[in-house]
Amino acid sequence: MRAATLANGMRVIVWPVRNIPNIALYNWVRAGSRNEAPGATGLAHFFEHMMFNGTSRHPPGEFDRMMEAEGGANNAFTSDDVTVYQDWFPANALELVLDLESDRVAHLAFTPAVIESERGVVASERRLRVEDNSHGLLAEQVQATAFVAHPYRFPTIGWPADIRSWRLEDLQAFYRTYYAPNNLTLALAGDVDPERAIALARRFFEPIPAQAPPPPVRAVEPEQLCERRVLIRRQAQTPLLQCAYKAPRAADPRGPAVNLLLSALVEGDASRLHRALVEDRQLAIEVSGHWQEGFDPGLLWLSLMLPEGGDPEEARAALDAELAAVAADGVTEAELERARNLATVGLWKKLAAIDGKAQLLGEYEVFHGDWPQLFDAPERIAAVSAEELRAVAAEILDVRRRTLGVLVPSGDAAGAGPDTGPQSSGA
Amino acid sequence: MTVRVPAHERLSLGNGVALVLVPRRDVPLIAFNAVLRGGGLGDPPQRPGVASLLAGLLEKGAGERNAYAFADVVEGVGGSFGAGAGPEAITVRGQFLARDQQLMLELLADALLRPLLDGEELEELAARHIELIKAAKDSDPAELIGTYGRGFLFGSHPYGRPVFGSEASLAAIDREDVRRYYEGQFGAERLILVLAGDIDADLLARMAADSFSRWPRTPAPPPALARPRALAGRRVLLVDFPGSAQTYFWIGNVGVDRRYPRRAALDLVNTLFGGRFTSLLNTELRIKSGLSYGARSGFARGTVAGEFSLRSFAQTENTGQALDLALRTLARLRQEGLTREMLDSARAYTLGQYPLGLETAADWAGMLGEIELYGLGRGYIDDYPAQLAAVGLAEAQAVIEEAFPRADSVAIVAIGDAARIRGAVGEYGPVSQMTLTDPEFSAPWTSGDENRP
Repeated sequence: MRAATLANGMRVIVWPVRNIPNIALYNWVRAGSRNEAPGATGLAHFFEHMMFNGTSRHPPGEFDRMMEAEGGANNAFTSDDVTVYQDWFPANALELVLDLESDRVAHLAFTPAVIESERGVVASERRLRVEDNSHGLLAEQVQATAFVAHPYRFPTIGWPADIRSWRLEDLQAFYRTYYAPNNLTLALAGDVDPERAIALARRFFEPIPAQAPPPPVRAVEPEQLCERRVLIRRQAQTPLLQCAYKAPRAADPRGPAVNLLLSALVEGDASRLHRALVEDRQLAIEVSGHWQEGFDPGLLWLSLMLPEGGDPEEARAALDAELAAVAADGVTEAELERARNLATVGLWKKLAAIDGKAQLLGEYEVFHGDWPQLFDAPERIAAVSAEELRAVAAEILDVRRRTLGVLVPSGDAAGAGPDTGPQSSGA
Repeated sequence: MTVRVPAHERLSLGNGVALVLVPRRDVPLIAFNAVLRGGGLGDPPQRPGVASLLAGLLEKGAGERNAYAFADVVEGVGGSFGAGAGPEAITVRGQFLARDQQLMLELLADALLRPLLDGEELEELAARHIELIKAAKDSDPAELIGTYGRGFLFGSHPYGRPVFGSEASLAAIDREDVRRYYEGQFGAERLILVLAGDIDADLLARMAADSFSRWPRTPAPPPALARPRALAGRRVLLVDFPGSAQTYFWIGNVGVDRRYPRRAALDLVNTLFGGRFTSLLNTELRIKSGLSYGARSGFARGTVAGEFSLRSFAQTENTGQALDLALRTLARLRQEGLTREMLDSARAYTLGQYPLGLETAADWAGMLGEIELYGLGRGYIDDYPAQLAAVGLAEAQAVIEEAFPRADSVAIVAIGDAARIRGAVGEYGPVSQMTLTDPEFSAPWTSGDENRP
């Protein structure tokens, strides 16, 4: 394996693997909805779409046409913290792919007609993921309620009015600020000679000048003083319950303990919450959770899907009783061992494919500051003690530091009140 | 360098169990894939969902372990174990650390040979599956559209049944249904067992023989499948989703089967029509018009011809415009055909992409199971690059005519706000209407079932 820092500050990491004649590429940009401001939310995500829509060298559509004609496929995603561009291609397309990737970092061009058409695409994506989706609709409100100062309160896809109003100047300013080589980390895994990959990366990316680093996100979310609650009524059959607890940043040394806690609570049929809420008491039909691991302290989510007619209040009380027990007593040695083993197998499953390798390399470099830490992960998983896990549970699973979201079908009596909106229609 | 079927051992036990062992030592994991022929085909026609519930029950207690003990031992060692039903097979898959391979095989043998099929677990599971369908309707109606589409297109043909079950059918299934399915449809000659990864092949072959060689055969083969009849003309199923922001649509007709001889050409044409980002469909519905986040097409190919379908979605007020565009694009494929340049691009793309799905031991466990299930032979993988290289424009045109429907002969399903789109969808043919909350996936009054026996 090889890693290099180009003269302009861009990081390149290469992992040669020769199982299949292909390469996976992840280009990480340190820009997400965390870097946005009111009135222009969703810009990082919209920008991700525009990165496929033409440069001064290649007109709109050419990026995909050229890559696919050489056997490559691509995608991208945006989160609160980062925007990540992914390519999967046959080894002999490496030069073309690096050429295309560097071209859009150096020479992106904006065509007004394409901006308008892409605005429609993003609006459609929002209807799919938020407006016609109970989970998305509720999560957006919970996230916006959990933070009062930090930009993590913005939905990554953007508020509807902002989607309608982005201007060309917003895109140009975003490009200048964040799409600098010193703000990028490129991870490659697959059928490639590391020396050659780094030489090609130098050839294509090094001519792009470094820029002043983007302004830091200075907002610090103040301590949450009390539980916050959101209730949505929507035309639906099944209720939802989402709990978002304030949680540490990705680089926090307690990270492995947080992940094992989450696993002990919701991963698999033997997990604490699945067994208690889905199997024993049948209050929920599914439990799930995830930790939003970012540059700044974020959220640990626990979500319950309830059956039709299910009582969110009864489910919440049962959930709270389970969590209080874990915060007080931790989990059993068997539960901890199970979480450790599941985490280890999960790591190996990702490492079995070049896609997972490239993704993990980038993730560790960007969020943990150092890709070789990836190889310490098994040891760090093994080292988490029962006491550490209990301490993390006691700290995070504090009702005062959570936001509780409930979605009930609009006809239901739960959370009774005179109002009947907001609903999804016409949103 | 291309991808070829890795070195493996194929054994046949005396009672008909097919055992495939694929050693591969890059990570310390082993994967299993147990395929049991039958799947939804074995369901009582009026009660789809029995195979699916039985699959779910396999891990809800087996051998000496009840459901909790089974989950404890699987997950306790970091393993995974999951079963599901498809139209023609039940598939049980999982991964374990290599050190646990004996345990893995023991659990699998318990699940297949000695499931408890506990009545209370069945009730819980059926109730949960019913609620999961309702929840999917609340959050991802597009995910269910293929189930509506197949029901509408195939009618009473087995491919028209919802394999997962419907809210109504799941509520009607009892322990006797499940027991009868297990006794009639589970047995040695139905089983294909693939073990891949960091395995001790000799040990596992011995263990598998010990565990499975005395398993009796099933009393009868799976029900035979007739070739479904294609729909002539157009008709529309409107599924009312009041207040939806968007209309989700599916357009399909009967396509081709798994052993279709022009498979390489089919893959290339579908890649160009709706299988990749720059496809004709996505270019029209997303890239040029901004109407939709995406549009795709594909073929489901079983023992007999499954469906060709395309799917997309657009804002409620643009429903007619998006449907028009999708149908015009389908018509254009037939009228204008493809160019040599397009075909070359699709060839490079397909050659460049297919190895990515054949990388890990789990990938190979899946693929070798499929090759066995449909009797495809290793040439299905090893000859694929040469087949792709040989596809010319004439063959591509033949595939368009044989496998793709004409735009005036398709079933159309639209899930959306009926009050606002009924007029728009009525332009395309006679409309059957139902509501998203109906407990079935097909309107009971659907007429013109081409596949009624």
